[in-house]
Amino acid sequence: MGSLIKQDLPWNVLPSYLTALLRVYNRFGRRDNLYKARIKILVKALGPQEFARQVEGEWLHIQNGDDNFTQAEWDRVAKHFTKPAYKSLPALSNEQVMNTAGDSEKAAFARWLERNVKPHQIPGYASVILSLKPHGTVAPGDATTAQMLAIADLADQYSFGELRATHEQNLVLADVEQARLYELWQEAKKQKVALPNVGLLTDIIACPGGDFCSLANAKSLPIAKAIQERFDDLDYLFDLGDISLNISGCINSCGHHHVGNIGVLGVDKDGEEWYQITLGGDQGNHAAIGKVIGPSFYADEIPDVMTNIINTYVEKRNENESFIATYNRLGVAPFKEVAYKNAKKKEKAEATQTAGDAS
Amino acid sequence: MSQVSISGNVIAAHEQIVHFPKGQKPSLGANEWLIWSGSQDEGGLPDLEHGKSKVLVPFAWWRSHINSHHYESDVQSKASTGQIGVWFAADDDILKHVDVIEGGKTVWPLVAAHFPIFRDGRSFSTAALLRNHFQWTGEIRAIGDVLIDQLLQGARVGFDSFALRPDQNLDVALKQFDLFSVATQNSWRGPRATRASLSV
Repeated sequence: MGSLIKQDLPWNVLPSYLTALLRVYNRFGRRDNLYKARIKILVKALGPQEFARQVEGEWLHIQNGDDNFTQAEWDRVAKHFTKPAYKSLPALSNEQVMNTAGDSEKAAFARWLERNVKPHQIPGYASVILSLKPHGTVAPGDATTAQMLAIADLADQYSFGELRATHEQNLVLADVEQARLYELWQEAKKQKVALPNVGLLTDIIACPGGDFCSLANAKSLPIAKAIQERFDDLDYLFDLGDISLNISGCINSCGHHHVGNIGVLGVDKDGEEWYQITLGGDQGNHAAIGKVIGPSFYADEIPDVMTNIINTYVEKRNENESFIATYNRLGVAPFKEVAYKNAKKKEKAEATQTAGDAS
Repeated sequence: MSQVSISGNVIAAHEQIVHFPKGQKPSLGANEWLIWSGSQDEGGLPDLEHGKSKVLVPFAWWRSHINSHHYESDVQSKASTGQIGVWFAADDDILKHVDVIEGGKTVWPLVAAHFPIFRDGRSFSTAALLRNHFQWTGEIRAIGDVLIDQLLQGARVGFDSFALRPDQNLDVALKQFDLFSVATQNSWRGPRATRASLSV
């Protein structure tokens, strides 16, 4: 989605190259219009090739300057990025890990392993995602003081004292011994951060929205809650598989709605809160910006719209085909059709339609 | 040419200039330079009033009047006594006028770069280019909407004097340059801090 400006730049000349790049932007970026001041506007106006040519021209003068990194500096800084003191452990198979749980718990433990535990580069270790997305009870990504204190203890006990936060609004214990996963799962359940819904429809990214944020055009949290309550069935969620659903309360896009497979964007229309739906967004190696499906909805329409979209996916999918793959194969038309089939206040919605995509 | 109304054609500046030469301490000095904003008509230099005998002229004006090495007499006399310099507008592309600037090196005791509004940072690049590309070793002054907040950044890229906006507090201004004892990036003034230089 970005424009390619430079390839194969040696690491040591990055400072001088970036100086040249920013200097070109500083000198020739738009100053007359605040909304056109960003670098992407300049790159688009000049074209990536011409922008790159100007950067090269400037860089020629400074590329051998003393701003560049040295090997000695690299070595000095690299010494601060050490690895934890991993033990030498045998790599366990899924079955071996599963067998650390008793028979009565195996099914639930397996679900947690499937969704919330990721492989690790060091044999005998795994990375664990603590879900901060219980269904409908707290805002996505929220944790109480008591939970955080307990989770900090878990980090000390299970993961070299390190805890990471993700942009998906979950927490990660990155270096857990496979042999201790069952034990950790028990502890995580006590803190209510063991729901095996990572990457599923209810693992919603949502900004604080109009409940807490003065920038918001609309609330986000009640939408997330309503969707989680509508889809509060783990068997069904597992059957649906990987789907990202992201909610932003305004165009500042803190909830990354534009890269959600399903995006929800709060918009203000004549003082009322409306929600625009985008489909087809994706993050990662196949990053894509979602496309607006049409006129926006009222908050109370959203759960039904989601149900209709999901039902269409279930109906149309091939075997083992993910939501995004199905969308990419079929395009927006079948989803759009069902999203509006029961739309109430449709005329008003159409009258206030906003055009364009979500970027 | 009749008397030019100077007040309407002058860029306002503080009466005191903040000087911060490389390797020295910041200090204040009288502002001897009138900053002439140029004239739409074909006139020459303005008559100088207010006790100022030195004048900064727009670079664009200099280019249009100083071609073919024929200096008008008043420009010539001022140039010979080091009383004329140029200021670069934010949208002057100085890399397109290498010959004029190279020629000016022997004439101008001072050049300036203008900030039309504090958030317009193009003149930071102008100063950096004057130091890096042109090896300009003389004084570079920041003029226009120059606030105390810009002093440290300006000093790092190559400015060594500052004609602050008239409402700025000089005492506070002088304290801006040593706010930070450690820099993580090289600047025109010197290399970044290292563990060795900090003797930690």
